[in-house]
Amino acid sequence: MNSVIFKKELKRNRKNTAIWSAILVGFTALILSIFPSFSEMGEEMAKLMSSLPEEYAKALGMDEETWSSIIGYYGTYYGIYITLLMGIFTASTGATIIGKEERDGTAEFLLTRPISRGSIAATKLGVLGTLFVIVYGIQMLAAVIGLLIFGEEVNWSVFIAMHVHGFFLVGFFTASGVFMSSFLSPKLNYMGPVVGLIFGSYFLNAISMATEKVSWLGYISPYHYLNLTAKNGVLELNLITCFGASVVTAILLWISFKRYLSRDIVG
Amino acid sequence: MSAIELSSLSKFYGNQRGIDGVSFAVKKGEIFGFIGPNGAGKSTTIRTLMGLLAATSGKATIMGMDTSVEGARIREKIGYLPSEVDYYSDMSSRELLLYHAAIYKVGDAAHKIQELATYFQLELDRPIDDLSYGNKKKCAIIQSVLHDPEVLILDEPTGGLDPLMQNRFFELLERLNKKGVTIFFSSHVLSEIQRMCDRAAIIRAGKITAVEDITTLLSKQMKTVRLVTNSVNNMVLPEGALNHHQSGQKHTFDYVGPTQDLIVWLNSQAIIDVTLSEPDLESIFMNYYQS
Repeated sequence: MNSVIFKKELKRNRKNTAIWSAILVGFTALILSIFPSFSEMGEEMAKLMSSLPEEYAKALGMDEETWSSIIGYYGTYYGIYITLLMGIFTASTGATIIGKEERDGTAEFLLTRPISRGSIAATKLGVLGTLFVIVYGIQMLAAVIGLLIFGEEVNWSVFIAMHVHGFFLVGFFTASGVFMSSFLSPKLNYMGPVVGLIFGSYFLNAISMATEKVSWLGYISPYHYLNLTAKNGVLELNLITCFGASVVTAILLWISFKRYLSRDIVG
Repeated sequence: MSAIELSSLSKFYGNQRGIDGVSFAVKKGEIFGFIGPNGAGKSTTIRTLMGLLAATSGKATIMGMDTSVEGARIREKIGYLPSEVDYYSDMSSRELLLYHAAIYKVGDAAHKIQELATYFQLELDRPIDDLSYGNKKKCAIIQSVLHDPEVLILDEPTGGLDPLMQNRFFELLERLNKKGVTIFFSSHVLSEIQRMCDRAAIIRAGKITAVEDITTLLSKQMKTVRLVTNSVNNMVLPEGALNHHQSGQKHTFDYVGPTQDLIVWLNSQAIIDVTLSEPDLESIFMNYYQS
C-alpha cells in the first residue's frame, strides 16, 4: 500500500462519503424516532398486520414483533432500506474507485509513477475498505444511539447478529462492484448495474419468502443466507454463512486484483 | 548497456496491429528521435515501454531492467511526458506537482516547483481544469523533470506550446542532456527531431523502417518548393525535382537532393518569391524509401 495515494484517495472521496453517511444517519434517526408512535398504537398495529396479505408481510419480513419491539421494527427497515442504501454507496464506489482513473484519463499519470500496479490496486481496495468501515460504523453508531433513546428494552444480541450479517452482505455487494468494473468498460455508468444487482437480490429473496412455490429463488440471493430480520424476536448469528460470504468476497476481489495487474490501460 | 533497448516488441489488439517487431537501442546520454506519422505506432511503443500496455511478444529494457518485470523500479529513473495531458480536475498545478513530488520523495520540492513554474510562466494555483492545453503541457513538462530522472521519455512534447515556450523547453532539454540525461523524443514534426536529436528511428505502419543519424536523414530529406517567377514560360527543373505543378507564374514541386544544389539552381532563376517547406510526413516517407 502506498500512503501518499491512500491519503489522496481518502481526501478525494470524503465529500461523497460524508453525503452518504448523512443520508444513512438521517434515515436511521427518522425511522427510530417514529417507533414510539407505532408502539403506542399497539393493538391497532396488530390488527393492521393481521389484515395484510400473508405473502406481503412475509416478503417484507414483517410479523407482530415488527411493531411491538424496537429491534423487530428496526430490523425490518434495516433489511429493506439501510443495507440497500449502504450497498449502493459501497458497490458503486467499488465499481469506480479503480476505473475512474481510466475514465478521467488520469490512469496514465498514476501508472507511470514508480509504484507497482499491485500496490496501486491494493491501496485503492484499502481505501474502499476504509470508506466502507467508516460508513458502516457511523450508521451503526447512529442506530445504537437511536435505540438507546427511543427503545425501552433492546435485544442487543439480535442487533449484533443483524449488523454482522449486514456487514458481510454489504461487503459482498462492494466486492461485486469491484468485480463488475474489472470486466466491463471503465467508461460505463455503474450506478444502474449496481442498483440492479442489489435490488434484484433483495426482491428475489422477498419473492422466495412470500410463496413456497418459488422458494428456490432465494438460493440465488445473498439475502437468503445472511438474514437481517428477526422472526418472532429471534435472530441468531450464523458464522458459517458469514465465513462463506467472506470467502466469496475474497475470491471476487482476488480475481479483480489479478485482472487489474495484466489489463491494458485505456489512454 | 543501452539506456533503452527494444527487441522485436509487438503489440496486437486482437487481429489489429499496434506495433510489429519493433527493435532499436538508445545509447546512454543520447537524444534519440522517434518519428512517424499519426497512427504509425509511436504512442503504442511508448505506452508498452511504460507498462501501460502488455506487449504481445518481444522485450523492452530500460537501464538494463525488463519493463515487464521491474516496471516500478524503472519508473523511479524515468521522467515521462505523455502526448495527451489529463490530470485530476480537483487539483491545482501546485497540488498535482507536490503530489508527484511526494510519490518520488523529492527533496525541497516546493522550491524546485516554483523555479520551474517561473521558467515556464505557469500559474501554479489555478485549478488544472481552468488551464489551457498549453499550460497543462507546461505542468506536464515540470512533472516529467522534477525528480531529476536519468531517462526522459517524451511523447509529442511540444503540442500546445507557443514558439517561445518551445524554445525554453528545448533549452531545458539541452541542459539536461549535458548533465547526462538520456532523452527519447517522439514527434511527427521532422524539424523538432532535426534540431534536438543525434539519431532517430522512423516508424511507419507499426514497423521500424530505419534507424539513421540525423545527417543521413537530412541528406535524404524532401522539401516542397513553391516559386513565383516573372514569366509564364516552362522552366528547367533541378535534378531531384518531383511532382511538378505549374499554374501561370506559380510552380510547386517536391525536391530531394543536396540543399546546396537547390540554392544554386534557385539563384539561376528569375524568381519573385520562394517558399521552402516540409511536406507531410507520409510524402517524406514515400520519397525516403523510393530514393
